[in-house]
Amino acid sequence: MSISTGPIASRSASSASTWSVLSPASRRSLRQLLLAVVLPVVVVALWQWAGNGGSLFGGVLPTPDRVWQAWKVWAFGASGLSLNPYSGTWLANLLFSAERVAKGFVVAIVVAVPVGLAIGWNRIASGALDPTVQLLRPIPITAWLPFSIAVFGIRDMGAVFLIALGAFYPIVVNTAQGARDIERNLVRAAMMMGAGRWTILRRVVLPASLPSIFTGLRIGLGIAWTAVIVAEMVAVKSGLGYVLWDAYYVGRMDVVIADMATIGLLGLVSDRVILLVERWVLAWRRLQSFQS
Amino acid sequence: MMGTIAFENVSKTFSGQTEVRALDGINLAIGEGEFVALLGPSGCGKSTLLNLLAGFEKTSHGTLLFDGKTVTRPGPDRGVVFQEAALFPWLNVWQNVIFGPQVQGVSRSEYEKKAQNLLKLVGLEAFADALPVQLSGGMRQRVGIARVLAMSPKALLMDEPFGALDAQTRLSMQQLLLDVWQSLGTTVLFVTHDIDEAILLSDRICVMSARPGKIIRTIPITLQRPRSIASLTSAEFMAYKSRIMSDMKVSAAPH
Repeated sequence: MSISTGPIASRSASSASTWSVLSPASRRSLRQLLLAVVLPVVVVALWQWAGNGGSLFGGVLPTPDRVWQAWKVWAFGASGLSLNPYSGTWLANLLFSAERVAKGFVVAIVVAVPVGLAIGWNRIASGALDPTVQLLRPIPITAWLPFSIAVFGIRDMGAVFLIALGAFYPIVVNTAQGARDIERNLVRAAMMMGAGRWTILRRVVLPASLPSIFTGLRIGLGIAWTAVIVAEMVAVKSGLGYVLWDAYYVGRMDVVIADMATIGLLGLVSDRVILLVERWVLAWRRLQSFQS
Repeated sequence: MMGTIAFENVSKTFSGQTEVRALDGINLAIGEGEFVALLGPSGCGKSTLLNLLAGFEKTSHGTLLFDGKTVTRPGPDRGVVFQEAALFPWLNVWQNVIFGPQVQGVSRSEYEKKAQNLLKLVGLEAFADALPVQLSGGMRQRVGIARVLAMSPKALLMDEPFGALDAQTRLSMQQLLLDVWQSLGTTVLFVTHDIDEAILLSDRICVMSARPGKIIRTIPITLQRPRSIASLTSAEFMAYKSRIMSDMKVSAAPH
């Protein structure tokens, strides 16, 4: 039978017996969780059920149990001189991709936040930088691939460049928006108290822009994951994107789907991490929205 | 200590598609330690007048002097209290109060004691760690006053600071301001559209009219000091009020 329905069945059974002792808050979150898993469970179950002899669409698409098996070998199998070239390489490839995303994302933040603040805060900087940003922004990162390979070769730098570039735009645009929308009296209050332009930028404009900056970070991170996969499919010889394309090439659709699921999971986890940081940094804002 | 203010034939025009003459030929001299109220309907330019003195806006014509020097930009010698307090929402009460001394490079040992005393003065010593959103409107305005006093300004510029508060809170804030002013003796320019508030607080009321904003009448208020909100019901107070109401042509008739 399907693997995924097992844990769900046991969870709902145990929740029925402990339902009454749960606090209303945990009951609510449990109900939310149950509600959230219904759709994926149904899809996976249907997919499993539609399969015939481990695949469907005439052998093109493997069933979930085959994908699960492939992932287990990919993740825990013996690496090295195995017949299966993917055996035991899951974690290494995952880390390759994650490291590239981290590097590119950090570069994007370091460049985009100051540039965005400058565009949003200073009219000269806005006039000098914003048109160029807007001019380059419509060029999709996929269009930068040949450029990236030509300049950086088949190396890490190319992937990091594409990730940084892709994440740069949403961060810079949202940061600029946040700095532009700052409440006028906050800036006036700071000037009145004797703060200079740099102090205002650092101690007023930056914190006031943080909610928008985090919006940009979350969008940028999504683009960073897109960029790393594209880059690895074409411009580097390792990572989840490389495995994805390689497995497709040799007809290992089970690995392809396990790879896709891994990418989705990593994207989700990294987004949650940003969300956690945001909740911590913007605690003052959570109270605000809670009150209003 | 100084804090003298001189508007000499000051005008302010906002350019745009249609030019707006917000202020026209303002002459106003305020002495050290004087409490002057600007009273008028909304749109009469009284906030603009205050913004010019604060250095937030530039005069179009005329001379504007603070302590004998032309006003060019905002500075801690003129502490502004905004209508909506304009506290930094990401800083707690304590951090908001010490913001001014901090950015001016005053050492911690110098401002710490003073800031603590100010929090006590405005009755918020128990709320030092609270964020502005956790406070009521009146408490926020108390912080707004404390953070300005932390800079020891020569003048307080207050732009309808109690306009957004409920009647009872407003009374207690007026009492607080009377007490603070009585003990500090700072020059105050106080913008309001509330006749009672203007009479209760000030030494002199400048009544303004709109379009273009002008000072149409100046009324000295000689109610005995120190005052309290109890003065609000005295016969003398009522006499001032009826005179100002007729000056402002306040009537029951529809406009």
